[in-house]
Amino acid sequence: MIRFNLNGEWIEDGNIDPMCTILNYLRTHMAQTDVKEGCAAGDCGACTVMLASLDNGQLSFYTVNACIALMAHLHNRYIFTAQGIAQQPLHPAQQAMIDFHGSQCGFCTPGIVMSLATLYQQRLQQGIDLNIVPSDHDIHAALSGNLCRCTGYQPIVSAARHMGDYPKRDCAEQVQAAAVVEFDPNVGVSREPLQQSASSQLFMPQTEAELIALLQQYPTAQLWAGGTDLGLAITQQFKTMACVIVLGRVQGLSAIEIQNKQMSLGALCSYSDVEQELTTRVPSLAELVQRIGSRQIRNLGTLGGNIANASPIGDMPPAFLALGAEVEINGIYGLHTIALEQFFTGYKQTQLRAGEYIRRIIFNLPQENDHVFLWKISKRHDDDISAVMFALKLSIENDTIIAAKLALGGMAATPIRAYHVESGLIGQPVNLATFKQAGSLLEQDCSPMSDVRASASYRLQVGKNLLLRAALELTRGTLQAEVAS
Amino acid sequence: MSHFSAFPPSSESFRRRPAKGGRGASVTHDSAEQHVTGAAQYVDDIPELARTLHAAIGKSPVAKGTLTQLDLSPVRTAAGVVDVVTIADMPAVTDIGPVYQGDPILAGPELQFHGQALFAVAAATFIEARKAVALAAIQVDEQIPTLTLEQALASGERVRPDHRMVKGDAKKALAGAPNTLTNTLYNKGQEHFYLESQVSYAVPTDDGGMTIYTSSQHPSEVQKLVAEVLGIAMHKVTVLVRRMGGGFGGKETQAAPWACLAAVLAVRNKRPVKLRLDRQDDMVLTGKRHDFFTRWTVGFDDDGQLIGADIHLAGLCGFSPDLSDAIVDRAMFHVDNAYDFPAMAVLGQRCKTNTVSNTAFRGFGGPQGMIVGEAMMDDIARATGLDPLDVRLKNLYQNGDKTHYGQPIEDFHIERLITQLERECEYRQRRHDITEFNQQHPYLKRGLALTPVRFGISFTVQHLNQAGALINIYTDGSIQINHGGTEMGQGLFTKVAQVVANEFSVDLDYVQVTATATDKVPNTSPTAASSGSDLNGKAAQAACQTIKQRLVDLAVEHFGVAPDDVHFINNHVVVGVGDSAQWFTFAEFVQLAYEQRVSLSATGYYRTPKIFYDRDTASGRPFYYYALGASCSEVEIDTLTGEYRVLRTDILHDVGASLSPAIDIGQIEGGFVQGMGWLTTEELTWDAKGKLASASAATYKIPTSMDVPSILNVRLFDQPNAEETIYNSKAVGEPPLMHGISVWCALRDAAASVANYAINPPLDTPATPERVLAAVMACQAHNEGLVAEQIS
Repeated sequence: MIRFNLNGEWIEDGNIDPMCTILNYLRTHMAQTDVKEGCAAGDCGACTVMLASLDNGQLSFYTVNACIALMAHLHNRYIFTAQGIAQQPLHPAQQAMIDFHGSQCGFCTPGIVMSLATLYQQRLQQGIDLNIVPSDHDIHAALSGNLCRCTGYQPIVSAARHMGDYPKRDCAEQVQAAAVVEFDPNVGVSREPLQQSASSQLFMPQTEAELIALLQQYPTAQLWAGGTDLGLAITQQFKTMACVIVLGRVQGLSAIEIQNKQMSLGALCSYSDVEQELTTRVPSLAELVQRIGSRQIRNLGTLGGNIANASPIGDMPPAFLALGAEVEINGIYGLHTIALEQFFTGYKQTQLRAGEYIRRIIFNLPQENDHVFLWKISKRHDDDISAVMFALKLSIENDTIIAAKLALGGMAATPIRAYHVESGLIGQPVNLATFKQAGSLLEQDCSPMSDVRASASYRLQVGKNLLLRAALELTRGTLQAEVAS
Repeated sequence: MSHFSAFPPSSESFRRRPAKGGRGASVTHDSAEQHVTGAAQYVDDIPELARTLHAAIGKSPVAKGTLTQLDLSPVRTAAGVVDVVTIADMPAVTDIGPVYQGDPILAGPELQFHGQALFAVAAATFIEARKAVALAAIQVDEQIPTLTLEQALASGERVRPDHRMVKGDAKKALAGAPNTLTNTLYNKGQEHFYLESQVSYAVPTDDGGMTIYTSSQHPSEVQKLVAEVLGIAMHKVTVLVRRMGGGFGGKETQAAPWACLAAVLAVRNKRPVKLRLDRQDDMVLTGKRHDFFTRWTVGFDDDGQLIGADIHLAGLCGFSPDLSDAIVDRAMFHVDNAYDFPAMAVLGQRCKTNTVSNTAFRGFGGPQGMIVGEAMMDDIARATGLDPLDVRLKNLYQNGDKTHYGQPIEDFHIERLITQLERECEYRQRRHDITEFNQQHPYLKRGLALTPVRFGISFTVQHLNQAGALINIYTDGSIQINHGGTEMGQGLFTKVAQVVANEFSVDLDYVQVTATATDKVPNTSPTAASSGSDLNGKAAQAACQTIKQRLVDLAVEHFGVAPDDVHFINNHVVVGVGDSAQWFTFAEFVQLAYEQRVSLSATGYYRTPKIFYDRDTASGRPFYYYALGASCSEVEIDTLTGEYRVLRTDILHDVGASLSPAIDIGQIEGGFVQGMGWLTTEELTWDAKGKLASASAATYKIPTSMDVPSILNVRLFDQPNAEETIYNSKAVGEPPLMHGISVWCALRDAAASVANYAINPPLDTPATPERVLAAVMACQAHNEGLVAEQIS
């Protein structure tokens, strides 16, 4: 039984297939055709909806791609669509989009409206004066997962800047009004399946104890964290998974902790969850996180999922490798910790055994003498996948490199450490020659492939050149003459 | 917009208030409110009739081969499947080529590209249909495909014969030129990526006919092809298009196959059938912008003055002609862009490959031609040491010149337009600043380019330059207008409604445009070639004028006034002059006309004058006029990675007397960004077997909001069209796409700075970071060569 609130109305449905996405349900079962399918892969944002969760009295609003999120994700939550916020006078996001000519063909528009309405609502939640125009950074981040093929975005960005000009609309009021309806947050959340069909069942445990008990019973179950990659198996390959355990509601796996100069990030932290904290603690990592997927993907996708997925082109693994991270694993074999560099064993293969899950990721915070460079190279700035992910952490004392960790994505079947290059850096003075010389060892660490994103030779060249960029950044222009010549 | 308020009774204030929303008013899109609330209905949103089936397409697993076995029994027995068809099951015509033969509705036994439609499945649900197609057992005698332009040029495979355009004696001119430059450019194609993928919903009618709801730019062609495929008369088929979720040329011919297959399945099963391609199928199954490989030699003097050029344009057409003849022609027509080549020889080749049949895409070959002209200007500038803008200014056409296809240059004010932009965007100062920046920064380099656009307006197939409209006025004074154009987001419905409001001097709210329907206005042309408002605006105006004449005649007869004393002003019809003038609200006068038995419905028709083109002699006046504009872009590249940002773009564009400024600016901004995407981030890739590798939004990257220049200034160049177009406006759909060329030229300029502009770095498109880095490295290699020379 799934229970959710759609545009103010509580709906309970015990017949939803576990493989059913939010988009599929809304369009085919609810005739909610204001939510559009553009790509069914979480890449275009036409299906963007605003969700609200009310956990322990905390009300938060966020966007997701309805096309790849399972209906289970909606359980006990609130969903708003463009139609649902269209009471007169229209929502400021809607009226501004009209007044600034933000729609042409209109197909991406409901999704764009929901991204803007969520930006608006989040600012309200944060107590920001709506008369203050949102920064371009915040607007682009809100729109990073919404493709528009007609307008060139300029009028949409203008609309975003002017939402504060209209009469205030607070969607929290709609949630509060709806929340009055009595409900038991534990309905369907236990060791019983939340959903089942002839070919599939889905569980949504609330505690680690429940999760481990389920893993003992179903060790080969598909673990589902954010599902931003797994969702594609359903929508692109039309696969059915016999048993799914949704991790999203397991308590205690979303904590962000700092102790003894160590940072611990719960495996279920979404990228959006960690952005704020990282901005002050590890700014380069925060910047990288902001270039992963889109706002919608960052709201769903989790750090643990990115690591367990073990894609050679995932963005977080190289960053965590360079930071020397460890992963804490739990499950039917008990709690243990391993270094991330030992975690990846082959293409999409890891040390994680059936019946295990990642609990958290732990790494030492960079110190005064440490320099961290995290550079993602892709065809497009936002919402793209790396051709090369470059992650370098250097410890420098007296102009000498005393420690170096270089990790790369997109260069091999797994995220890798470039040990030869590292050895070429360690003990050497900080100058361009050091980095040039170390870069010449890169071929000994990897032999990348050519694919749709880049050629092998480009990947190697960029790997070497980014070492030079690091040198140039470190020396702050004192080496300009050397390079220019 | 939400509530229709009837005409109020006439009053002093109502008489004084000008009608709202006529020509030149910056109004919002007629569906804007429906868009933002999600109420706007697209084909897939239409409530499904009972027992609707959902279709999916089975595809060829090879690029070239002969089918030896197609076992569809596992497909037939899959859950939910109701019907499966192959070409053998088609009731009548099986070739649905739009102009020439060559496009089988389903393939077999010959397979001509990887992913070609091979069979169609109808099932109870979309997911069941999609799951079932994967179960077919397909065996093929695979053959070696022709996949690239290089291969097709070598083997001589063509979908249509070569075509040449000649001006003067190019060979002689080049032989006598003090300088010549030979270069090449490979432009990759472009995926349309309309947000709404292809979709048709076929509903059988009780008279043996078919109603088709489709997302098509060409409903009349869908009607014709559905009739042919079903073997019934066209009058049995009605095609309706209320709106598309984007078209860009990708729904000109590419919408028809899915409508035809849905219709066949609907007839066979006596049930409504919806065929919607999901994104990955859409990207594989439908044609794209043509790749072009161009080789040229250009001659010029030491001052950068053009002397002559020999240009070979080869378009990658795919396996069938589709519209490629006209597309390669348009590339040839635009290779000169704004410049007078005293002598020119242009060869256009239509190469046949085992890839999807490429098709119309905003610009229709024009962009691929125009970028070559612009590449030449930059090449000449770097060869002569002149500023590229000066080379451009020096070579502009002047009134009285003739193009390489014999069209006289008239009303050509691009020099004024360019110099206005040059001044407004501070080109010279910024050129100076960039030189300084580039000398100082160790690895970031900036580039600047100002490029013009001169784009010919008209279908080059003459008979397409016609349009019809139907106007109905109801007794409450509300007006319904229907025309042959389709709404794909470009604001055509809004513009035509403005024309009607303007003709009757009534508020725009009293005018409703209705879905394009083949049973209202027949035998229409595609909404393409930027011609939508030129053609349909004029046809609507003609229909309005017919009714206006009837209303004037009525006034003359009924009130005994002279025809000149009847006026349509401020939502009123004013009969008589001075103190004796009688003011009727438009609704009152319409009611009178009804009571006096005057017809309040009329059709209008328009055909574009002056145009002709003789393909045998490759000369004529294919274009009624040219749309003009110019843009200036500044970029910054990272010479270590090839990454870049577009820092600023300024555009000045000529839409004549704008029909609807906000909509025109939207077209210009959107066109520019789409053109920039074509030349920068959007890269189509195929694997070695000819399978599309970039078949999803995960691998094919159209611009996001972040990619748009942080400064983007767009202004309209205010000058009425000298030709008698609708209110002397100019077409705006395609031309702005080519402003994206300034971004590409600026990227090349930035790369060239690395070699102090001494060489022309190769920069095929799209200029991904990888290609920009290669251009930079070519410049670095040149520098190293110089160093080596000095040492030796």
